Amino acid sequence: MTDALDWLAPLVSLDRLAWLDPLAWLVVLPLGWATLAFVLGSGRGAWAALAGVSLQLWLAVELAGTILADGATPPVGASEMAAHHAVGGWGAPLGIDLAADGLSAAMLILTQMVALPLAVYARAYFKAGDPAGAWFWPLMGFLIAGLNALFVSADLFNLYVTLELVGLASVGIVAAGGGAQQLAAALRYLFVSLVGSGAYLLGVALIYGAYGTVSIATLTPLIAAEAPRLVWLAAGLMLVGLLLKTALFPFHFWLPPAHGSAPAPVSALLSALVVKASFYLILRLWIGPLEPLLPAAAAWLAALLGALAIFWGSYRAIRAVKLKRLIAYSTVAQLGYLFLIFPLLAQPAALQAGVMQVFAHGLAKAGMFAAAGVMIRATGQDTVAGLAGAVDRLPVTLFAFGLAGMTLMGLPPSSGFLAKWQIIEAALAQGYWIIAVVALAGGLLAALYVFRVLRQAFLVSGADVAERGPVPAVPRTLEWSAFVLAAASVLLGLRGVELMRLLGAGA
Amino acid sequence: MKALAKTFVVVWLALVFVAAAIGAMLELGPAALDLRAPVTDHLTDTGVSHPVTAVLLNYRGYDTLLEIAVLLLALLGILAAGGAAGSAAPKAAHPMLQASARLAAPLMILVAVYLLWAGAFLPGGAFQAGAVLAAAAVLLHLVGLTRGWDSPRLRLRLGLAGGFALFLAVAAALLTQGALLGFPPAWAGELIMLIEAGLTVSLGLILAGFFLFLSRDLR
Repeated sequence: MTDALDWLAPLVSLDRLAWLDPLAWLVVLPLGWATLAFVLGSGRGAWAALAGVSLQLWLAVELAGTILADGATPPVGASEMAAHHAVGGWGAPLGIDLAADGLSAAMLILTQMVALPLAVYARAYFKAGDPAGAWFWPLMGFLIAGLNALFVSADLFNLYVTLELVGLASVGIVAAGGGAQQLAAALRYLFVSLVGSGAYLLGVALIYGAYGTVSIATLTPLIAAEAPRLVWLAAGLMLVGLLLKTALFPFHFWLPPAHGSAPAPVSALLSALVVKASFYLILRLWIGPLEPLLPAAAAWLAALLGALAIFWGSYRAIRAVKLKRLIAYSTVAQLGYLFLIFPLLAQPAALQAGVMQVFAHGLAKAGMFAAAGVMIRATGQDTVAGLAGAVDRLPVTLFAFGLAGMTLMGLPPSSGFLAKWQIIEAALAQGYWIIAVVALAGGLLAALYVFRVLRQAFLVSGADVAERGPVPAVPRTLEWSAFVLAAASVLLGLRGVELMRLLGAGA
Repeated sequence: MKALAKTFVVVWLALVFVAAAIGAMLELGPAALDLRAPVTDHLTDTGVSHPVTAVLLNYRGYDTLLEIAVLLLALLGILAAGGAAGSAAPKAAHPMLQASARLAAPLMILVAVYLLWAGAFLPGGAFQAGAVLAAAAVLLHLVGLTRGWDSPRLRLRLGLAGGFALFLAVAAALLTQGALLGFPPAWAGELIMLIEAGLTVSLGLILAGFFLFLSRDLR
């Protein structure tokens, strides 16, 4: 009797659920539902996506739980990672390793957390027969799969493949069903994406030539021991390629047209997650294998570009005519904060601040683009001026926009406040008050463009707008999923401690 | 004049970059790690006897899995961007050309099958075989024997995604047994052959699709 059930043993050993390794399933699952959605056909697959993303969220939380429960969690950036999966059973450097630490787990949770409400939103947003939504679900599935694969990969070449997955999926959903302008933005995005990953790939090839391996864990001690000139060149190529993909000033030129012209759920996915993926990779390389190569000046250059991004992005957002352009330029500005942390990385608090900003901006910007989609659909126009008097018709959406704006400005108790507070604290602790000043000024500038929208919607009379005839009704699902995202960005501020613990310090 | 100056700057920067890269490469010693030895040492456990196929399908099969996804994704991008207009009526070529295409197509299919089979012990495999299949489909279209493709029906969608789905299913099944794509040595040869056979058909369709979904523009 027991023998007959032996084959069940590996499946029911619930103590660790070995077969349910979240690292690998977080990649396999979205690939699976993306393929299913493609086979089901044009416009189908929303339910597969919703079920898949829900399961992935559970897996990501489960992974974070295991990493937290591991008493001796190695700090983020150590070559020994908390969770580990040798694909094919070979182990690096012969095979490919998947690995995750607190930083990867945090990014995985953010990805699924943003994707789930956006999937609900997109299901209501794309009407049947809308060419923009025809292949949305498989494209979104491959996008999420690429992001998850990127966050768990510990192999430089495999990371390149994940970058291509993310890049092509993003270009695909930007181009979907669009007019000439949208296609032009998508094509420019494609070129930037290819140049960025091409530069990264060239760097990886040079590193492989120098050391004979692309496994990050194997490379880290090798680079620390000896770095020929070629490796400096490789590091430069990889970082510049990734900066181009992250749209750091002055490489931001492609972002506003691509993010501004896509349908709202697509803009939300791109702004909240896709640019963060290449940022994650920069951070991972910066505190990992490339660390011995980078002089302090490189960190200050990154911070300087970050500061310029904050000022230039905010300025363009304040001047923007179209609502989605405004939000896209706000993304350019908010990405700038992520680079303010590089000179401060000697303190673990700086890394926490950076990841907190990734979370804050990810949730808030997804909520903001989702809310903008509702407003554009309800008012029938895409300009900020067209929002006059919108508050009477869309109270929930404007509340959502306001909450997301609160996070971008960094008002307490939002997660944006926590992020900016930590950046300022880390800057002052190390005597770099200039970074603190930039962070504060950025918050004030964000207030200007957020209030520009709110003022138009709340204070300007919409009398002449109402005369244009009946406005189309907007599904409640759209309003509420935008609200959930925006509210999460604020409420996360109250649960910041867990995120900090995940990132290694204070555990 | 301004354009000329711009070109000059770009060319100059490119030359500097190439010179720096070549200079840095010349001073490079032997790599710290040489993976050729472990690749051949474990070759008997991989199920194939050609080291390149072993790297592509077994040691680094995960990269290949994701690369197939990239190809499928590129096709999806074309479908998503293009919409679904009617396909152009094929323009008939010279009868002589048509006759030779009719002759060539079966031979190309034969070559594809050979490349697939040879991949286990010689250079070759699913990518090459798929490329030959795709070339056959494009050839038949160019001489006007087959139409360009419209928005894909269920059977075509199954064909396009089937190879990847099979690869993914094998990967997931092996994951429940311990490791993603952890081929047991006893079964590795058969499983890899199965995956490659599926990939050949799907890659052929995907690569052909890059041409045939867009060919309605060739009026």
